[in-house]
Amino acid sequence: MEFLSRAQVIVAVGALALALYVLDLVRRRRLAEEYSLLWVISSVAIAALGFSTPLLRTITRALGVLFESSTVFAFGIGFATLMLLFLSVRMSRLAQENQTLARELALLRFEIESASRSRTSS
Amino acid sequence: MNPRALVIIPAHDEAESLPRTLDEVRAVAPECDVLVVDDGSTDGTADAARAKGVPTLRHPFNLGVGAALQTGFRWAVERGYAIGVQLDADGQHDPRYLSALIAEVREGRCDVAIGSRYITATGYRAPFARRLGMLLFSGVVRLALGKPIADTTSGFRAYGHEVMKVCQNDFPRDFPDAPLLIMLARRGFRLLEVPVEMRQRTAGTSFYTLSKSLYYPYKNLLASLMALLRRST
Repeated sequence: MEFLSRAQVIVAVGALALALYVLDLVRRRRLAEEYSLLWVISSVAIAALGFSTPLLRTITRALGVLFESSTVFAFGIGFATLMLLFLSVRMSRLAQENQTLARELALLRFEIESASRSRTSS
Repeated sequence: MNPRALVIIPAHDEAESLPRTLDEVRAVAPECDVLVVDDGSTDGTADAARAKGVPTLRHPFNLGVGAALQTGFRWAVERGYAIGVQLDADGQHDPRYLSALIAEVREGRCDVAIGSRYITATGYRAPFARRLGMLLFSGVVRLALGKPIADTTSGFRAYGHEVMKVCQNDFPRDFPDAPLLIMLARRGFRLLEVPVEMRQRTAGTSFYTLSKSLYYPYKNLLASLMALLRRST
């Protein structure tokens, strides 16, 4: 197997390790399957670029990028951006649901308190 | 349907001025029911309201003035109130104008009556930055609706039952101003401005703090645009 630099080996091994770690998190139920998807895809893609120099060369040339390392970084940044956007969307939904719950709680608490008040007074 | 009007008072850390506001409402508008929505206060606002014998809902943490109103609308709709009026806890809104706002909705001249401090000379003079913002957003609303609303940021409004039914599910969380008016108008509700006088705050701090003043134009411009782009359902 041919590698362009030591950095490429480090990136490839690192990405593979990350993929395995993500899968292990899912196994231990620390990470939900739906959140693992983007992580697994991105780390496997980076590992593939790292281990297969011909693939990396082909993509780099096809994209018109000057250095192979830039291609790896571009993929990394692309995935990171996607992940952040995905998390922002999730967070907005969670905030909305959280708000609805809090409002519902306020209404329920009022009902319970007025019910117990009317019971003690009667 | 309950023919009475419900005055909804969202309050965040207003323990100081709220009792006075409640007394005033009771004295000036005894025909109205009152609901206080304590938006996660830490200064005993809810207790101050309960001490006055007013039904009080309490958010477990601060959600924003829009969310507090939304909770109030939900409560009003569940109890079948024909009209809900939004009134500030800080004494800025004069309860003497409640009847004027309510009358416009009750007599069917509009679905939302907006207490406006600009359509007649009332002596109110906002700080420069705020005036600029108001000018901008009344311009936005005018563009969107094809009719002018002078006071888009007024939080002194009366809403009909059908409006509250929509608002209990769909309401801006933090700044219920221009985007809300656009959304309501797009849904076919009629808006009407009613001249009112507004007073200086008596205590507490405004919902509109300096730190929000930069975020506010961005959020409201975007939300206005989105309210316009959303299909009116």
